[in-house]
Amino acid sequence: MALVHKFLSGTYIFRKCLKPSVASCPVLGTRFADYCSSSLQKPVAAPGKNSSQRNTEGDLQGHHQREVALDITSPGEKPEFSFDKAIKDEIKDHCRRLKDDIVNYWRGPEGRPLHEVLMEQAKVVWQFRGKEDLDKWIVTSDKTIGGRSEVFLKMGKNNQSALLYGTLSSEAPKDGESGRSGYCAMISRIPRGPFERKRSYDWSQFNTLYLRVRGDGRPWMVNIREDTDLIQRKNQMYSYFMFTRGGPYWQEVKIPFSKFFFSNQGRIRDAQYQLLLDKISSVGFTLADKVDGPFFLEIDFIGVFTDPAHTEEFAYENSPELNPRLFK
Amino acid sequence: MKPPILITIMFTMVAGTTIVLTSSHWLTIWIGFEMNLLAIIPILMKKHNPRATEAATKYFLMQATASMLLMMGIIINLLHSGQWTMSKNTNPMASTMMTIALAMKLGLAPFHFWVPEVTQGIPMSSGLILLTWQKIAPLSILYQISPTINPNLLMPMAIASVLVGGWGGLNQTQLRKILAYSSIAHMGWMAAITPYNPTMMILNLMIYIIMTLTTFMLFMHSSSTTTSSLSQTWNKTPLTTALILALMMSLGGLPPLSGFTPKWMIIQELTKNEMITTPTLLATTALLNLYFYMRLTYATALTMFPSTNNMKMKWQFNTTKKMILLPPLTVLSTLLLPLTPLMSILD
Repeated sequence: MALVHKFLSGTYIFRKCLKPSVASCPVLGTRFADYCSSSLQKPVAAPGKNSSQRNTEGDLQGHHQREVALDITSPGEKPEFSFDKAIKDEIKDHCRRLKDDIVNYWRGPEGRPLHEVLMEQAKVVWQFRGKEDLDKWIVTSDKTIGGRSEVFLKMGKNNQSALLYGTLSSEAPKDGESGRSGYCAMISRIPRGPFERKRSYDWSQFNTLYLRVRGDGRPWMVNIREDTDLIQRKNQMYSYFMFTRGGPYWQEVKIPFSKFFFSNQGRIRDAQYQLLLDKISSVGFTLADKVDGPFFLEIDFIGVFTDPAHTEEFAYENSPELNPRLFK
Repeated sequence: MKPPILITIMFTMVAGTTIVLTSSHWLTIWIGFEMNLLAIIPILMKKHNPRATEAATKYFLMQATASMLLMMGIIINLLHSGQWTMSKNTNPMASTMMTIALAMKLGLAPFHFWVPEVTQGIPMSSGLILLTWQKIAPLSILYQISPTINPNLLMPMAIASVLVGGWGGLNQTQLRKILAYSSIAHMGWMAAITPYNPTMMILNLMIYIIMTLTTFMLFMHSSSTTTSSLSQTWNKTPLTTALILALMMSLGGLPPLSGFTPKWMIIQELTKNEMITTPTLLATTALLNLYFYMRLTYATALTMFPSTNNMKMKWQFNTTKKMILLPPLTVLSTLLLPLTPLMSILD
């Protein structure tokens, strides 16, 4: 399936055009369309010309309209279409990654010596210092179900942060089915190894999630998904809330993993389970506070660390009244 | 789980394995496997969390597929021999299918992918049953059909299992996954000797079960699931730390401990059968296993691993966990080597 995806994208691009990820949706049956992150913009001729246009707030609309334009190439450039070369490049890339994987395996877990991994007390997992860091994230909104929210992701000032911004609209889509709408989300891509093998993060050494963010006062939901091979479990996630202050100062949010509650298909379940940290697949931020209007969230980095003062294992307990079968 | 239900489930599990051990009719053997499988599913899901459910699902799918293949082999055998008796198993296709089915049940390479995933997702006590009791039934069938097994099929699987078990366990920090890869490697050793001396396979199985039981019990006693939590046992129960040292070296096959006995016997049997490359390869790849056992020992018993100040000098409470069998099992896991001359009766 991974090779089919690569085949479809390989015939379109030779690393010069935008990836038509929407085109792959019907084939692979993805549940939401990917908005291309700003690093996959169409090639713009003169960067100096664009920087002057970007300066004003009024041009923000036009700026991110250019950002999300899909498979439109400028007439002057003729992208090279070479099926064989694209496939060969992909195979070479995957073989090189496989070789790196095998070499790193000798060194230790995650390519580092074991004692380094075992003694680690803090780790920056995602940071935003360049366009390539944005490629590790997907942004999505209720546009996939016919809503009117818009969300974009771009690098912040001086390439020191990422800016997630857009407009939330809780107007329900007029499809006769949906009664509610209004969400925007930013989800990390599942880490992949050579030949698109699914990987996961092992955070069992740590007990707290650390986020350095600057928001606009809106409440966000931080979601963590575990790695799974079962389709039914893809709707399960662990969530907690992040309240941003707004204002010019950066905010350091520390959320212990014991506070995350379990939900399935968007509903908080009566039977609660502890978040197991040895196979984490992705982390995401969701805004769905039913307040229409623009929003932004600036993220410096996301990390994990061990708080020795935090000894709680799980913040919630199951109730015999709600879940008698758990107590049989 | 309520005690009556637990007793029923455990009884069904034991009955299933016993039926497999004592039957000579293929259909009854298959029924025994299914009883065993159905009974262990609630045991795997003892802790109600999504990971345990996923592990139980994966285990069920894998074992059901293997049972299906086994039934296919049984029916092909029935077609060619005209009877259900186990002794009449001469058709090569049937024998191949049965071997592959049993390899899937045991977690031999290349059908080993489920073992670490399932073991990691279930509680320690369920993992103990999965990696010890669940091996008895398939190995008993392997023992009984060993004269008809194609060595050209089983030997590559055995060597691959030892390689995978050694390689895969190298970078693990989760103890259950380490034990899962250890199980794969030990199954490889057992499979390697089965075509030549099946009784030696039983010896290896018994010693492996004793060592694995002891290891699981020690980990349950110290409530450790990762290497870093195991490295703090010197603080909680210093005696457990010393036992882990001896046990890891025994699992790695170092003399003068019990774990050396099966490896020695197997290498001796293989060389008696004029095989040089295979035992050399097995002995060399066993070093990979020894490496990660020794690394566990290094972190646990040989050094005081770095930790935060509130982890040091813990108040040592009396343990409430009853591990009655732990002392005799520890003795058996480490001090059986002098009894090796008695094993000559197994020739």
